[in-house]
Amino acid sequence: MGFYLLKRLGLAFAVICAVVLVLFSLLYLIPGDPATIALGPRASPEAIARYAERMHLDEPIWRQFLIFIGNALTGDLGVDVFSERSVTTIVGERLGFTLALVGLGMGWAMTLGIPLGCLAAVRPNSWLDRVTGVLSVSTIAVPSFLVSIWALLIFAVHLRWLPAIGAGEPGDVVDQLRHLILPAFAIGLSWVGYLARMVRASMLEVMGETYIRSARAFGLAPRRVVFGYALRVAILPTITLIGMGFGGLISSTVFAEIIFARPGIGKLIFDAVMARNFPIVQGGVLVATGLYILVVLISDLLIAWFDPRVRESL
Amino acid sequence: MKLRTSRRSFLASTAALGAFGMMPGLTGASFAQGASVLRLRLDGDLEILDPGYMTGGTEIEAQKQCLPFLAQYATTEDGFSWEPTYYVTRLEQRDATHIDFELREGLVWSGGYGPLTANDVRFSYERMKDSDWSGYFEALDHVEVTGERTGTLVLNAPFAPFIMITLCHGPGAIVCEAAVTEAGGRYTNQFPAVCGPYTMDQEPGQRVTFSPNPDWTGPAPAFDTIQANIISEVRAAELAFDAGELDCTEVSADALARLDADMPEGTSVTVAGELQYMWMGMNTEHPKLQDIRVRRAIQHAIDVDSILAGAYSGTTAKSHGIICPGLIGQRDSTTYYSYDPARARELLAEAGVAGLELTIRTLNTQERMLTAQIIQANLAAVGVTVSVLPLDSGSYWEMGQESAGDTWQDLELWLMRFGTTPDPYEATSWFVSEQVGVWNWERWTSEEFDRLYDEGIAETDPDRRADIYIRMQEIMEETGAYVWINHEPEAFVHRSEIVVNAAPSGELDYRRFERA
Repeated sequence: MGFYLLKRLGLAFAVICAVVLVLFSLLYLIPGDPATIALGPRASPEAIARYAERMHLDEPIWRQFLIFIGNALTGDLGVDVFSERSVTTIVGERLGFTLALVGLGMGWAMTLGIPLGCLAAVRPNSWLDRVTGVLSVSTIAVPSFLVSIWALLIFAVHLRWLPAIGAGEPGDVVDQLRHLILPAFAIGLSWVGYLARMVRASMLEVMGETYIRSARAFGLAPRRVVFGYALRVAILPTITLIGMGFGGLISSTVFAEIIFARPGIGKLIFDAVMARNFPIVQGGVLVATGLYILVVLISDLLIAWFDPRVRESL
Repeated sequence: MKLRTSRRSFLASTAALGAFGMMPGLTGASFAQGASVLRLRLDGDLEILDPGYMTGGTEIEAQKQCLPFLAQYATTEDGFSWEPTYYVTRLEQRDATHIDFELREGLVWSGGYGPLTANDVRFSYERMKDSDWSGYFEALDHVEVTGERTGTLVLNAPFAPFIMITLCHGPGAIVCEAAVTEAGGRYTNQFPAVCGPYTMDQEPGQRVTFSPNPDWTGPAPAFDTIQANIISEVRAAELAFDAGELDCTEVSADALARLDADMPEGTSVTVAGELQYMWMGMNTEHPKLQDIRVRRAIQHAIDVDSILAGAYSGTTAKSHGIICPGLIGQRDSTTYYSYDPARARELLAEAGVAGLELTIRTLNTQERMLTAQIIQANLAAVGVTVSVLPLDSGSYWEMGQESAGDTWQDLELWLMRFGTTPDPYEATSWFVSEQVGVWNWERWTSEEFDRLYDEGIAETDPDRRADIYIRMQEIMEETGAYVWINHEPEAFVHRSEIVVNAAPSGELDYRRFERA
């Protein structure tokens, strides 16, 4: 297990280096002079030169890459060229908001999607299964930004039940939770469908296994058979899906963050790309990538913990 | 622990969770209801508050609340003017190159930095000459301090718009010499000291709060606290206003049209100014457009009225030049062209041009794309085939600049919009000969235009200035390189019980908001 962990950490470092390298290349392939774009069309030549020097834009790209990786290893993600604040601090300020949003979004999707998938599998071809199937496909098909706008129009603008913008009053947990409901609903809705479909398919396969039949033959309660035996095995591919989904959501919450005017990593990176604010882009993507890798690693370890066959093969 | 669930209990518990979040009692509790709290929108974080190194826009709004200014904008029946601020008891232009001021007694900087003095004015303005905003202070020679609170701004040559474009605008903010020096000579996202009705506190990515300044001895503003929420997208801000979470926000052309047609009760719209000018430009050096008859034909072929109706829902003012409504020298008609497709066809035939194919480049925003498509249809009607090339801001803003590559040689048609300050001088500055290949992408030169530009700066008589700027626009139009399109308004939707105060260029001045 220890060797496995080391191997995965080494792989994670290689992935991060590759992502940063691709990112560097992409940023420099985008048309437009970064200094002119960042400082605006009417910036003086002196200001542009100062900016280029501060951003190391006058250095070769390979050197910029090495400087960034070297600094990142010491926890220094650079300095925002506008506010001159530490990128680590700026990313840190936004990270909690994104993690809370992703956590709640995926959390409610799991809370609803997994039991729905189980119930549909336990009673295949029943009305519940059919309704679940239709709803799952529908929620998967509707883009989350559309759900965001509809949810905002219905619950915030028309009914005024929930707040439309912001992240809530600092220190007021209830207010912050209320500000999370609509965006979490919007980003989690499609995952209800994904998870319900995934769990249903896995459960149907597992429910046909001989050990499930044996358990039933021994007279175990149906609930125990489903949740105690079948789900424990059927959940394994779903854990992988959740891990990847959780990681992906970290940077793809940008629509919800823009529409609900919430701070977050996705919006931070988006704004920084538009402004060619390279240190923020690099720092934000690095942290998002690191989190993605971490979540996927945790999901792999969870699978190993759940399934002795996987554990023994490590 | 055993998981005990059933379909019924599961559905009941999820419904209960949803209902908890939507309880109206809980919802209402967090909305800002205080009578003295004004909730607004900022379109981004405040990055650099130092007037010398700011990016502008929202940062200017923050400066107006926390820093002293000598002059401020005033709106009159004739257009825009200036007036002294509360910070001065005297601000007079003694002659063409001397502006005397006397600061009000008893105003102090926060943080124990002492009273506001004439030395602060000298420090603030003379440091600007070496800053990123030095262009605004080119006319300033030095600041003469004649007493603790008195002094004179000495210009190196007559410069008529100095008070309007410099002292009233963001670069005219006065900073505390002692505090800024102590901060190392410049600062970023926190004021080292303030001297205004508000102090400022930022929660990055969320909001900026302006709270009462305990050291402020001047008149109290109408609103104790300002909550400026960071909302980057104007349409998201409009929804927040509709949801009752903002008291005032900028609106897009679409929303303005909707509000004009059906204004909700208790809601009003205020237009601060229309200091943006948009046109379609033509590269006079491009082989396809070198013939003035071809350019004139294009001018005649474009139906600007249909652009205003189709792309801007009739919410913008038709343009006849680069001088915006409310400014000296604004024209009310064009001289050399009008919408006349038949005349366009005649001119093309005269020039021996058939099957002309052109590309129009534009920013990839909704209104600009619609404008480009209408132009495409207009020109197709006279036999000119146009391809629309949408660009992101990065590529767009450097396409005509010689310093950024060779794209300027391929430029044919493009849609451009500039913003300006409330004086005609700045709008004309981008088209003098030395701007060819910088911002004069149409690439024409005129000795008369350059001479008039210098005369317009030095002239103080409004009528003679008006004649100068009208003539300059005629010269521009005569080149055939421009189709004037519109002046977009800086419009704000707000609760009717609020009187909005905004600079003509759209920056809100919260301290000058009033209750209706």
